[in-house]
Parts: sequence; structure tokens; C-alpha cells
Amino acid sequence: MPLPLEGIRVLEVGTFVSAPYCGRLFAGYGAEVIKVEPPGGDIARAHGPFKDAVPDPETSALFLYLNTSKRSVELDLGSQAGRDAFLRLAADADVIIENYRPSDARALGLDYERLRALNPRLVLVSITAYGQEGPYAEYRSNNLIAFAMGGQMFLTGDPDKPPVKNGGYQADYQGGLNAFSAANLALLAAERDGEGQHVDISVQHCMAPILEAGVPFYSYNGLWLGQRRGNLMSSFMGVYPCLDGQVGVHVMARNWPPFAEATGHPEWLEDERFATAESRREHDDVLMAEVIAWAAGVTKKEAYALGGEFRAPITFIHTMEDLLESPQLEARGFLRRIEHPVAGEAAYPGPPWWMGPDAWRDGPAPLLGADTEAVLSEAGLSRAEIAAVAGAPA
Amino acid sequence: MTAPLAGIRVVDLTMVWAGPFGTRLLGDYGAEVIKVEGPGQWDLLRGLGGIPRTVDRWYNRAAYFNHNNRNKYSAAIDLRQEAGRDLLLQLLAKSDVLVENYRANVMDNLGLSFEEVRAVNPRIVYVSMPGHGKTGPEAHYVTYGTNVEQLAGLVSVSGYEGGEPLKTGFSYGDPTAGLAVPAAVALGLRQRNRTGEGVHIDLAQRENLTGFVGEYLVDYSMNRELRAPAGNTHPHNAPHGVYPSGGEDRWLTIACENDEQFAGLCRAMQQEELAADERFATMAARKANERDLDTIIGEWTARWGHYEAMHILQRHGVPAGAVLTIPEVMSDPQLRTRGAWSEQVHPDAGTWEVETPPWNLTRTPGHARIPAPGFAEHNGYVFRDLLGLDEETIARLYADGVTADEPNVQSHT
Repeated sequence: MPLPLEGIRVLEVGTFVSAPYCGRLFAGYGAEVIKVEPPGGDIARAHGPFKDAVPDPETSALFLYLNTSKRSVELDLGSQAGRDAFLRLAADADVIIENYRPSDARALGLDYERLRALNPRLVLVSITAYGQEGPYAEYRSNNLIAFAMGGQMFLTGDPDKPPVKNGGYQADYQGGLNAFSAANLALLAAERDGEGQHVDISVQHCMAPILEAGVPFYSYNGLWLGQRRGNLMSSFMGVYPCLDGQVGVHVMARNWPPFAEATGHPEWLEDERFATAESRREHDDVLMAEVIAWAAGVTKKEAYALGGEFRAPITFIHTMEDLLESPQLEARGFLRRIEHPVAGEAAYPGPPWWMGPDAWRDGPAPLLGADTEAVLSEAGLSRAEIAAVAGAPA
Repeated sequence: MTAPLAGIRVVDLTMVWAGPFGTRLLGDYGAEVIKVEGPGQWDLLRGLGGIPRTVDRWYNRAAYFNHNNRNKYSAAIDLRQEAGRDLLLQLLAKSDVLVENYRANVMDNLGLSFEEVRAVNPRIVYVSMPGHGKTGPEAHYVTYGTNVEQLAGLVSVSGYEGGEPLKTGFSYGDPTAGLAVPAAVALGLRQRNRTGEGVHIDLAQRENLTGFVGEYLVDYSMNRELRAPAGNTHPHNAPHGVYPSGGEDRWLTIACENDEQFAGLCRAMQQEELAADERFATMAARKANERDLDTIIGEWTARWGHYEAMHILQRHGVPAGAVLTIPEVMSDPQLRTRGAWSEQVHPDAGTWEVETPPWNLTRTPGHARIPAPGFAEHNGYVFRDLLGLDEETIARLYADGVTADEPNVQSHT
């Protein structure tokens, strides 16, 4: 069985997280992904955290993770020779993924109309903070800025503290996964009628509508809470300290009886104050004190096992250590051991969805420029032309 | 110019957020999506709209439901009855895709496993999206959106600097699973078109979201060191944070990536001497003296509205952005220019603004074609036109409670 995206050729002219995450998914599901890196490499190589805390462009965990199963071509798109070589690659690509500001992208030769003239079936995927047009299209952004302008930051944090971002690069990852979905829809259309298109991803537009019920409640019901709620959304939805970590609870109305049983409090089911979802909201403070007291007396794994046994939505806050030791992830084979020639072996997340045993591959991230000569030679460049490309071995 | 998913029929058994959001995206980009609810097993979001149950057809007016379910048809089928199961299998025989987000064993218990569906339609793309996946010792555990982010490892690395792990501001595991659905379906259709055979896709929501913190896992695996929550700080760059703006609970983010941007910030604040101050002259110095720098910046930002300061700073080449509230994202000039919101008219709910399809596929754009369906609104289309049932058979389905025109309002209180 061929890999799902076998036969698809992708050029990734992306830096840091969003475009590389999109490229990682293409590569994992079987596309040939050629990562075009500027001289010196993707900035994620300089970012870390590094193996043993020693900076090395080949051991940045961020880079290693985001660039599995790709080939690396080091190419200076600021030079004419670099741009010419890039166009040779573009002529034969199905997809280009990029995440530059629109004006910066055009300066690098990533102009859709020009690329289309060269290759009409090409899908150009542009991931930007705000989209290709509009008053802020050229505004500078990065993960923190995008998190703020997408409306997710205001909701995150404690009510008496400033808003805070979520861990890592959540705005960038959202951009990458949205782009992967959009790109694959455009590929379906291109495979049907032979025509590509420009796919314009605005991270802000992806983020702003998904604030749970926030937008519909505001736009339809005229309701806006206007306040962050920290770890304690309510007595039945939140994160509570336990003996050796934190447990998480998310009780919908139908989960109330199993929740009371799982926590060893069947008497709550007889308590009039807790009889209906509405009355539980009315006595939220009382119930919250009870839940906090319960959590303080259990270990995280005990709580989780009780949740499983009684079918109550109780989990615990998994650290990276817990993920590595998770019996569930182990049984499903989700974590992949990948050997990298410089960084050595490490565990990596597997596919975001399972499509069968042979639907995903686990190659290491490429060394900087490791495939420059091979890729350019396959594209038909002569030895002299390859030598003229800055950054390539002479 | 046909839509990417034109001609693709999707049977949607999903409820609440993750699944319905994912299938709505399929509808946005051209698929025909038929949402199937049971007369007693209807999507509980219909009941969470804040609409008094004394209002006619209150269950068609819940805004959150209507946001997640536009571009879909609705049919009522009780899958727990044999006749209902048969009806669904007839529908699946004429469809391309099934999406379900039940707990792992529910579809098997209903007699609707992948193998059973494949027996009536060998080309089916069958997408399951349970929290833990279809297999494994925790597969039967109940989990919702906030649990997913806890299981994915995200909460353990989120929070204020020096603080406890912190949940996200909402059920983040839901939309992040939903927005994977179009890609999963596209890959499944591509495989089906090539091999002629259907495929079972198992999208475990926790695994999908673990992909959003993968660098932490690789790092831990290499270095055996757990990283504490880092708030708004960046490992190398400063300034990088949130600063007070004029107004109650209003904030501005600033995140400089190099000396040039920092010099722009100093010019914008009319404190150009700061760029030469030895405490702030290099990125390493700024990082070491981040707290002093943040105090100086905060004194300046507090004098401006968050949008005003953003515009001033951007004119000087500084990455800056306002921390937008929900009312502000609804009126934001950039989102307005992009057409992120559009008015929708719903026969029961009336007129209000909803989000438009998020991705601009310039040649094959998405559309908000039809509002969310009323409960069982398209029973006639599905039973008569698609399945070709005669009137007598349809009448029997109603009489036996296999279908209905109205939901059993007692089933979710």
C-alpha cells in the first residue's frame, strides 16, 4: 500500500514553526518534502532547546521535531542564482508552503502569478498572521502577537492577572494544521482538473472564530463574560492540585452521577443543592470546595484510574515524562524512536491520525543542506550551475 | 471552479464541538453533509443556547449549535433500533464519508463498526475521532476538550512564569481536532480514489494535540528535564510579553526578535537612549535585564489604547499586537476587511453574524451556503429522494419512533 501522499512533491520555504509543521505532516504521510533553507539554516536550528544544552544547528529539539522525513536544500533566495534554482524546483512541484509577510515573500520570488505561469497546477500555500490583503497585512507578527490578535490570549490566565499565552507556539501550530487541511483540499481540486491555486491562510482568521461559544453567544445572545477564569472555570470544569500533581475535571450534566461515584461522594447525589445542573451552578462555591478537597487527597494516577473505572471525565495533567510512560500511547505505538546522525535517538510524536500501519513514516530531520546537490542535480542543474548557488558545496 | 469536495456526501454522526466543527468545514468547502441525530439522542448543544424552552422550536435557535452546523442537512434516525440501523446503512451505501466522535466502543455496540459499514460500502472513508483513539487500555475513558489538552501534555508546559500548570482559555482540544478533519478526509478520499478501497481513519484527539507540543517531548526524551511554564517570556528574546494599555483589563503584546526592532521600539517611545544603554544594548543584555525593561515599556504603553500603540509600534517596524476581546475580534478592521464575519438568516433563529469559511482558497472559495438545519428538517430529502422509500415505509418509521420531526425534549435536561 503506497503512503497516502506518495507522489506529491512539496517545496517548503518556511521558517520556524507554522510552515514547517505543515511540511512535517506532508512528509510524514508520504509526500517528498524539500525544505529550502536560507544560508545558515532555518532559525529553528538556532532556537533549541539543544541536546545537553549545547547549541548546535543539528540538535535543536524544535528543529528536529518539525522537520522529520524532509530533505534539506540550502539556497540563498536573495541571490539571482538562488532564485533561478528555486524556479527550476517550483516548475515540478505540486505544493509550495511559505510563511513570509506578503512583501517579503514577493521579494524572494514567491509571487503567485509568476509561479502559476511556470506551473499552472501548483498549489501555493501562504501562511501569514493576517492574510494576503487588508490594513494589517504587512504588520510584523510572531506567535505571541498572533495569539493576542486571534482573541485566544484574552481568555487565557487568571482573572486578577494579565493574560498569558499557552505553552510553546500554539498560534503557529494552529496555522500549520489549518494550512495542511486547506492545502489538501486544494490538492484534491488540482488533481481533478489540473489547476492549482493560491491558498491564503490568515492565522488570525483561523483563531478568532474558535473561542468556544464566545463568538456566537456575543453575536447572537448579546452575552460576553469579559473575564479570564484560570484553572477554575467552575466546580465541574477545571484543574485542581492533587497529592503529586494536578487532576483535570470536565463534567457535563450526564456525567454527574458517575463523577460523584468516582470521587467517593455518592451523598452528593442525594444533596438537593446539587440535584440539577442549574442548582449545581447556584452552589458552585460549595461544590468547588468539595472537589478541591477531594483532589487534594488523591494521587494523579489514582484519580485517572477512578475516572476510567466509573466513566467519569477525570484526567491528570500529563507531563512529558507521563507521555513517555503512558500505557495508552505505548499500546497504540504513537511514540516513535527516531535515530538522528548528530542528535542521537529520541522519542517523537507519531501521526496526528492513524490510517493503517504503513501510512506514516519516521525519517530524521535532515542535516543542513544535506540534499542540496542531489536535489538540484535531479532538477537538471549542471555542476557549474549548482556550484554557482550560494551555500551549495562547490 | 467546482468546490474541492463537490459531489462528496458525508454522513455526520458527531455531536457538540470537535466533530461538528470538522464536518462543517467539509460543508464549507463543498461536501453535502447530512447530520444524523436520534429523536432522543440529539446534539446537546441544541439545548445550550440560553433559549427558554417555552419558545417555539427553541432547539433550532441555539447560536453555538447553529455556528457549528451550517452547510448541513439534518435527518432524525434512532440508531439503537434495528430499523434505524438499517436506514443508516442504506444511507451509508450512497455516501462517501462517515464521521463519528463517540467513545471508542459505541459504534461497534450499535453494529456500525468499520467492517459492518464496509460490507455495505467498500469505498467508505470512515473517520473516528474519539478522545483516546479506538484502541488501547484507556480507549473507553470519557474525555472532553479540556481533558484532551491535559492528556496531550500542553497544560504541563502552560502557565505563568514560576506558576502552576494552567489550562487554556477554552476546550482547546475540540477545535484542534476539528480542523484536522478536512485533511484526514482528503487523504482518505485520495487513497480511496487510488486503491478503490475504503479506509478507517482513527483520529485520537489527544494524539493530534500532542503534535502541538512535540518539541517538548523530543527535548525531554533527549535531556530528561521537565520545562516549567514560562508565561509570556521567550527563551532568548526580550522584550517579549504583555503590557498594560489604557482602559480596564486592556493589554498589548510586544515581541522583538532583533536589535533593529528594539531600536524601533525605543524610537517609538521617544527614548532612543535606551538602545545604547548597556543594560539593553544586546539581546542577551535585554534578556538578563528583562524585568527593568518591561517596567519602562509598561509605563509607555499604559498611556495609549492597545490598538493605538500597536499602530505606532508597527510604523516603527516593531512586532506588536493588541490583546483582543471577543467584541473586539468581531469588529477588528483586518478581520472585517477579510470578510471573516457575515450575516446569516435562519428561519427560526433570525439574523445574526457568523464566521465565514476560514481559508481563502482563491480559485475554489468556501461559502456559508445554508444556515444550520432545524431538527429533522431534511427527513424528506433523505428518506424520499436519496433512499427512495415509499410513503408507507416512511409512515411506519415515524409510527415506530425510528424517526421524528421533533426531538424528544426529555432526553437532555
